[in-house]
Amino acid sequence: MSAAADVRGAAQITAAISGGDLRSAARLITRIEAADEAAAPVLAQLYARGGSTPIVGLTGPPGAGKSTLVDQMLAQYRAAGERVAVLAVDPSSPFSGGAILGDRVRMGRHNTDPGVFIRSMAARGRLGGLALAAADALTVLDAMGWDRILIETVGVGQNEIEILRHADTVIIVQTPAGGDAVQAVKAGILEVGDLFVVNKADTAGADRTVAALREAVEFRTHALGAEAWQPPVLKTEAAGGVGIRELLQAIDAHHQHFRDHPKQFAARRRSQARARLVECMAAALRARRGDDEQHDIFDDTIDDVVARRCDPQTAAKRLVDSMS
Amino acid sequence: MAQEKIRCLLAMLGTDVHSKGIRTLAQLLRDRGVEVVYLGEHNTADGVINALIAEDADVLGLSYSTATYLHYTHDLLDKMRKAGVADVPVMLGGLIHADDEPALREMGVKGIFGPGSGMDQIAAFLQDVTGKSLTGDASSST
Ligand SMILES: Nc1nc2c(ncn2[C@@H]2O[C@H](COP(=O)(O)OP(=O)(O)O)[C@@H](O)[C@H]2O)c(=O)[nH]1
Ligand SMILES: [Mg+2]
Repeated sequence: MSAAADVRGAAQITAAISGGDLRSAARLITRIEAADEAAAPVLAQLYARGGSTPIVGLTGPPGAGKSTLVDQMLAQYRAAGERVAVLAVDPSSPFSGGAILGDRVRMGRHNTDPGVFIRSMAARGRLGGLALAAADALTVLDAMGWDRILIETVGVGQNEIEILRHADTVIIVQTPAGGDAVQAVKAGILEVGDLFVVNKADTAGADRTVAALREAVEFRTHALGAEAWQPPVLKTEAAGGVGIRELLQAIDAHHQHFRDHPKQFAARRRSQARARLVECMAAALRARRGDDEQHDIFDDTIDDVVARRCDPQTAAKRLVDSMS
Repeated sequence: MAQEKIRCLLAMLGTDVHSKGIRTLAQLLRDRGVEVVYLGEHNTADGVINALIAEDADVLGLSYSTATYLHYTHDLLDKMRKAGVADVPVMLGGLIHADDEPALREMGVKGIFGPGSGMDQIAAFLQDVTGKSLTGDASSST
């Protein structure tokens, strides 16, 4: 296809997606998941128009109740007349590459509601490419004109945490069970949380978990100064719909904080853009095959640096040169 | 470096609650490298179709354990045509009676996997109707 035809085709798909054509949007997300370069010209046009839909990310250990929380949040947003899109990311099996994407089971009552759009995404074991694919999918959802976007991801690996860098408000979901809170502190996830939720408040140890988290959060924010956002620690019982209203109020308060502190919001947007640029550059490098066609240049260079065949600075220069 | 995967939406319609079969199928498909979007039980035709559109699934799989599947399947395929998604192949599993197969095929059902069907058959069907290949480790799923 010629470049001009490419641009015309992209403009058509862009118009369809902005005009509410769900199938075009869903198909574009499939192209993104397949790392198909054909998606790029459309994404470029959609990106230019986006940026105004607030994105809330939820993460936490498997079974913490994230999908149940999303279901309850959807119910309240819908009751208030807001139209919401959800991106639900689940891990892929490292053995087969397949996946069971089961988040929708908890959100089943919204399937018949045209004001809700839910898309599941498998992590696919991409080397760092997951955050990139998720970010591009968010660009599509953003262009579709939803009032809000929610993204659910399992807080297990660095890959998943990277996704959260694309959210304006990050919710860390924990439970009283199994020392989740301690795990969170260890995983460094405290640094990325804007809100903390202890779900399953109906189970033993909830207050203790809230207290432990609060202490950890306050210890961290103490050094940030009075102008900084103080992440609240909330208690919910998602299965029973308890504490959801307070959670939505806390999300609103965080948005309001950004409105009141435009410099902090600008800093967040800059760090989002920075993370995305770095991911794009890494992806561009990975797309280049090494001499043996087996590895990408990025992987080969890492090997060289580990084996001290090349020093990091020279290696970096070599990588940058290879891109031009 | 496109990474094409087969995406399969799995659901039960209506009041059917025997979800063990479909959960087992979901795991077997995952072990073959399929991305299964699992909707569970108690779905309506409209809900399944909305999910099908948003998930851009390659195939829709329905599991039945009650005798009402002719009615439910007919209604679903009808609504799929109206929604413009009749191009997505539909497969049925569970307690499907062999006598009903001609009627189901007539309606437009592409794959029927009643009692005794094996995973190899289902995997071959999926690759055939999607034109994508399964790369999963088949040895771990029997
Ligand atoms: N006891 C209790 N169980 C809950 C609560 N919220 C969710 N669950 C249950 O926890 C399980 C996992 O929930 P899910 O939303 O799928 O968790 P996710 O993996 O974090 O998305 C389900 O069986 C839910 O019904 C809660 O507040 N209390
Ligand atoms: Mg979930």
